[in-house]
Formats: sequence, structure tokens, C-alpha cells
Amino acid sequence: MNLFRSEEHIARWLGRREPGATISAGKLSDLAHAWWDDRISPDWLPHTREQNQAILDRLGLSGEFWILP
Amino acid sequence: MDEADLELRRRTYAFFVERGRAPVPAELGDPEDVVAGWRRLHQEHALVLNGATAELRMLNPFSVVPTAYRVQAKGRWWYGNCAWDAFGICAALHTDGRVETSCPDCGESLTVEIHDGNVDDESLLFHCLVPAARWWDDIVFT
Repeated sequence: MNLFRSEEHIARWLGRREPGATISAGKLSDLAHAWWDDRISPDWLPHTREQNQAILDRLGLSGEFWILP
Repeated sequence: MDEADLELRRRTYAFFVERGRAPVPAELGDPEDVVAGWRRLHQEHALVLNGATAELRMLNPFSVVPTAYRVQAKGRWWYGNCAWDAFGICAALHTDGRVETSCPDCGESLTVEIHDGNVDDESLLFHCLVPAARWWDDIVFT
């Protein structure tokens, strides 16, 4: 889960490997804030799979790649 | 996850955020009890232990050990386990921050300022190699 300069850099880094998913740094920030916002709260409880999947769905991260187990 | 393990997790994270380093078991209670609790929390993906020892490896989104993702936030430098976690440190601390890393392809240094959840360089891209269904197969690789 890395940050890259551009699509060209991702493609060169991947080489012959199958690409995963690429999103903008702005979308990543939205995802990070939705996912980790409560992590050090004294009231934290484990997220359910459904809660986490809903975060991905809400941000438009859909399709087989983003389906949690 | 029972209340005792939730409390142990709370105290572990609070120690880390307050001191900027991970506790050793004896700093949180009876070492054997603490390690047993950490192992249960590891099984629940509530923290990550080093595979070969009982030492803490990740208090997600924080990394306990140095990584390529450095984050400056709340007057301290932290490490994220990956780009997602590095951004997540600002989210978890509810603060602005600065992420420093380098492009894995060319090695060029990359810096992102996060202010009110917004980034100052929208041109940068995040690539996730492993599908969500397999993230926890090997979380260190992921």
C-alpha cells in the first residue's frame, strides 16, 4: 500500500505483476479518516465487517478487489 | 473480545500515544497476563505482534518500528505501516500533519501535508497491490 508519483511510476514498479487498485491521495485521505478516526478513542469497539465494507462502499470503492472477507 | 482485552488494548494505545513508544509487558501489568492478552488481540486483528516474539509490531495505524512512512503530527514523528496508515495517523490523532516517504519506483521523496483531512498534492497516487479479501493473510506484506 504505497504512494507513487504517477501512473507511470506504478506501472514500472509493478513490472509483470498484476495491478491492484489505484486511488488519488485525496481519496486515500477520505478513506483513512473514515477507517481510522475512532482508533484511539476510549470508546473504541472493533468494527464489524459490515461497518468496514460500508466505508469502502460509501467512498465508491466497489468491485471484487474491495470486497472484505 | 471481552472487556478485559478491550481495556488492555486501550491502555496499550494510550501508552503509545502518550509516550511515543510501545510499552513492554511489565509496564502494563503482569507480563504473562499482558502477553496473553496481546496474543488474543493479535488473533482479533486489534493489534499486531512480531511473529517471532511477543513484541508489538503494529498498533494500527501506527507502526511500532521504523518504516518508509514518517508522519509529523502533534509535535512528534510517528511511523505508519503503509501510506493508508500514515494518513490514518492524522485521522486517529484528529490533527493536521505531514507525511514523508519516497516513491517506491524512482526513490524521489514525496511529502504530503494534510490539513482538515485535505491533502495539498492531489497528483500523488495510492496503489494497493493486495485485494481486500487477502489483506490479513500477511498484514506486514500488505
